[in-house]
Amino acid sequence: MLLDYGAESHLIEQISTRFGKALGCSSTEISLIPSAIVLTTLINGRSVTTTRRAHNQPINMSIIHQIVSICILAEKNPGNLNMVETRLNAIHANYYPKWLLILMIGLACASFSHLHGADWPGFIVTFFASATGMAVRIFLSRRNYSLLIVFAFTAFVCTLIASVASYHEFSATASVVLSSSVLLLVPGFPYINAILDAFKGYMSMGWGRWTEATLLTFMTTIGIILAMSILDIKGW
Amino acid sequence: MIQWSNILFDALWAALPAAGFAMIFNVPRSALPFCAIGGTLTYGIRELLLNFYSIELSTFIASTTIGIIGVFWSRKYIMPRPVYTVASIIPMIPGTYAYEMMISLIAMNNNGVTDMLLQNFIQNGLHAISILFAIAFGLVLPSLYYTKRQQPIL
Repeated sequence: MLLDYGAESHLIEQISTRFGKALGCSSTEISLIPSAIVLTTLINGRSVTTTRRAHNQPINMSIIHQIVSICILAEKNPGNLNMVETRLNAIHANYYPKWLLILMIGLACASFSHLHGADWPGFIVTFFASATGMAVRIFLSRRNYSLLIVFAFTAFVCTLIASVASYHEFSATASVVLSSSVLLLVPGFPYINAILDAFKGYMSMGWGRWTEATLLTFMTTIGIILAMSILDIKGW
Repeated sequence: MIQWSNILFDALWAALPAAGFAMIFNVPRSALPFCAIGGTLTYGIRELLLNFYSIELSTFIASTTIGIIGVFWSRKYIMPRPVYTVASIIPMIPGTYAYEMMISLIAMNNNGVTDMLLQNFIQNGLHAISILFAIAFGLVLPSLYYTKRQQPIL
């Protein structure tokens, strides 16, 4: 039961408790810290404790969805251990095709820039900047670089390309272009997860995720600063 | 005077980021349209309310709305709620504020602390954190209600 693809802590606890009930344990207790799960189950008067290390995986909602649907299935016909095991093994991540992802992220950031009031040349520059940034990000994550380095480098590339807008007065709203082309790196999910965890009483998880998100933002900023100091652009 | 057409167009533009970021998080294909609709809804509601209230309050109301809608959707399609809700609030995340806060922090280190930079740092940081809290509190309200009733949502 490794449930750490960026799920909320409350969800993790609920799901494992329900799994335990469905599979015939009389009680399931769980303790979570940001890097591991400790799980104790009580079967026939004996308690079994396992500790699992949580690997730092990219957020993948479709895996969480599949686990939840397996859990509901297991509740409907309890005690069926084989079925659950085969289904858990059959979980796969259905990734979107890369070109579609790059295109959509480019469009997404470009529409961000539009929402913040950029003109059409700015729109185009943002599109190219963030699409290239996404390509770089996918390329680097494929090579298993640390997420922090990936974020810093991607921000660097994004800012470099976006700064085209400020040359020759190509776009009148260069600062908006600069700021919205790096929006693809905002760690929104960890921030929201952190606050949700803290609200539901998982303080250590909340702090862990908050720190992670802040570090990611910090690394992104370092990438931006590096690019800006190379090109000698002042401010946003 | 509220400019309805402007709000409508902006909200439609917000559907794109919501769907795009949902794809980064690898949401199941069937949930994508709902993420886009959610993004449109939240952004539209926020833009509309911005005419009357502060940005924090309108963000809070918008995210509460999507939180409640997410409960219904997740019941109907058996899907954990964050799939819908988090993707929908992506267009409202105060990313620019957070970056500006960090940039002024680093500038303070490089160029020495000035009133201007300190003001930037505190202002942007407060904005970012309060908007984030508004979003998260709005999302958490429906599930707090359900924990009171001692019954899981799904």
